[in-house]
Amino acid sequence: MAESISRSLRDGCLEGEHAPALTIEDSLASPFGSHVFDHFLANLASQIADGTSQARGLVLVALNRSPSFYIDLLRRKGVDASLVDKWVRILDCYSDPLGWKNRIPPLTNVQKPSTREHVSFFRDVRDINKLLSSVLDLGKGFVGQGKTRFAVAVDLVSNLLRHTSLPSVAGLLNNLRSNDQISCIFWLIHSDLHEPRVSAALAYVSTVVASVQPIMQLTDEHRSRRDFLWLQKNSCKAKFCVRLKRRNGRVKLLAEELHMDQVGVKFAAVTSENSFVNKSLLPKVQFNLQLSDQERVDRAKVVLPYEHQGNGEAIEIYDGRRSLSDDQKDPHSVQPSTFSATTDAQANSGNGEIHYIRDSDDEQPDSDEDPDDDLDI
Amino acid sequence: MATAADGRLQGARSASASSFSRARSSPSAVLPSPRNPGVKLGPNGATFVSSGIPDLDRILGGGFLLGSLVMVMEDADAPHHLLLLRNFMSQGVVHRQPVLFASPLRDPRAFLGTLPSPVSSSKEHRQRETTVDHNQQDQEKGLRIAWQYKKYFGDQQSSQIHNRDVKQEFSNDFDLRKTLERQHVQHIEIMSIQDIPHLTILRDRCSNFLSGLPRSDGGNLSAGRIAIQSLCAPQCGYAEMDWDLVAFIRFLRSIIRSSNVVAVITFPTSFLSPAFLKRWQHLADTLLSVRAIPDEDKDMAKLLTGYQDMLGLLHVHKVAQNNSQVPTVLEASTFSLKLQKRRYLVLERLNQAPVEASSGTSYSTSGTCSGPSKGSSLDF
Repeated sequence: MAESISRSLRDGCLEGEHAPALTIEDSLASPFGSHVFDHFLANLASQIADGTSQARGLVLVALNRSPSFYIDLLRRKGVDASLVDKWVRILDCYSDPLGWKNRIPPLTNVQKPSTREHVSFFRDVRDINKLLSSVLDLGKGFVGQGKTRFAVAVDLVSNLLRHTSLPSVAGLLNNLRSNDQISCIFWLIHSDLHEPRVSAALAYVSTVVASVQPIMQLTDEHRSRRDFLWLQKNSCKAKFCVRLKRRNGRVKLLAEELHMDQVGVKFAAVTSENSFVNKSLLPKVQFNLQLSDQERVDRAKVVLPYEHQGNGEAIEIYDGRRSLSDDQKDPHSVQPSTFSATTDAQANSGNGEIHYIRDSDDEQPDSDEDPDDDLDI
Repeated sequence: MATAADGRLQGARSASASSFSRARSSPSAVLPSPRNPGVKLGPNGATFVSSGIPDLDRILGGGFLLGSLVMVMEDADAPHHLLLLRNFMSQGVVHRQPVLFASPLRDPRAFLGTLPSPVSSSKEHRQRETTVDHNQQDQEKGLRIAWQYKKYFGDQQSSQIHNRDVKQEFSNDFDLRKTLERQHVQHIEIMSIQDIPHLTILRDRCSNFLSGLPRSDGGNLSAGRIAIQSLCAPQCGYAEMDWDLVAFIRFLRSIIRSSNVVAVITFPTSFLSPAFLKRWQHLADTLLSVRAIPDEDKDMAKLLTGYQDMLGLLHVHKVAQNNSQVPTVLEASTFSLKLQKRRYLVLERLNQAPVEASSGTSYSTSGTCSGPSKGSSLDF
């Protein structure tokens, strides 16, 4: 299932549609969001390097970790360094997001940080429009105009929300998503740092929401007892819940387990102890009392259990005694086709059947005894 | 705007005066076709315009009431509210009613390119309408209700059957695969609400739209439509100004009330705080909500018939009752959105799948079913 997310990021968007957008959210109880982000980043980068993805380049907006960390990460994951230089551009919003270094008087004997060609500094995180145009310029810079697209990854939207308001961040992500040159976009957020409406707003803008949740929920009991079992369980495992919005307007809910190890994250199918309960959102449901056309035809074809079929036969009144009916009319028969001997092939060609049990047969036929004889006067 | 209000009041007064006399039904029966097929007169001086979906008009008792505010609660996971908006705007275009469309898209004109074009009702549709109406007509005759007003409704229905052609024109079926041509949608006024810093701009635009509407004179009723998509979408600049949004909706409701305009506003519910969500729900005259359904849900497939064809669910919370004290009680309030022949949007009541006699106990666990949970297996 994480594979399917990687695949959808790789495939990108169709013509005329907005780009797929992935939100990764985690919380303090299961803080593996950054690792999940790195996992998807490395996957996408290797796919770009191989040339299998729709995106021809990647722009990474680094707000939480320094650009050198990402370059090391990509190198560790096996992406070729030269290809990293060629196809990845990092917008450094980590070193000096608010432009403070420009305001303090320059120190004399400070080393100038070595600037790499694919890392560009961004000093004004508060200006969302400038951020948007920088991202687009960076992307256009190495992908060119025309039809080629590039992918965008935003490291920590929570950091962005520190500096600007939610509508502007949501507007930025939405504008990036609807831009013609973006193939796919994904971002990370720590959901417990914000109000619920922030998560709701980002879920509204994105097409896939992947949330990392603790395997065992934290209760007050755990907190009071300083439950080490809980800590141990949650320190290396987590639940990975995905909510996909499909093109046909339906929602797909999936869950997987996430394991942390030295290398990174690994996804595995969910074990049975934590089954994912699907909330059914069903309202009141009625029975369909209308008949469909086929059902109406079938109903018309069934022969009814009347003595008088209306086709010219003699009327026989059935009075509850089996002895009267000798040749025809066995009313206990389930198949109504045996009712009249002159039934043609019209009977039972449909699926209509009548299950008919006369309740007058349960009674004993009148005996010839006079009940007054029992009186012993 | 004052003269439009006067015209509307006059119309209401004359209609209400005549609703207590027998003669009220005759004008609608005598006139073979009203001059404006897009507007229908209803009981108690109500005028309706079609929502663009014939099933929805029937469920709401005639259509969208002119002068009312219709709000549609979106689901964050599914774009079904756009289907409702598209049909609503296309119906306005077909009846040549002025339409104002506000959307948080950068370029709302792109959305106008997806409006469906009307399809002339085929015989099949006519037959479907006929059988439904005849059933109702027979029921009316058979029941012989003593309630004195019932005969007026009966007259209306008979007049509707006589004017079958007119009824078809009131609400069209729209083919979602074909789009309206460009020249028809040129007249729709559009506005983008993403970058506006506050709502006074939208407010002024709505007031200008209303004052620019043609006056309704005599029997020729005109109508206008306002469609606002995703009013409090998170990317709009004013999205966090909760009180301003409430004030805007109240303003819109008040200017519409005395005019011949119906406004449809869709909004995402997940982004509003619960207190404000309640306020918005109370401000609406007609409240609908669309919901997404889970994909490949085996339980749901077993429970409902036609699960494969369903796009989503539509729930009717409130129906406008501006001119009457009688509430509209619906038999069913949740409907499934389906595409008939992949083209026409239809609303169907949710029907439970037929239950096998042996596996009748499977429904006792779902507490949301109304009747069937009591009797597990059905024996006749």
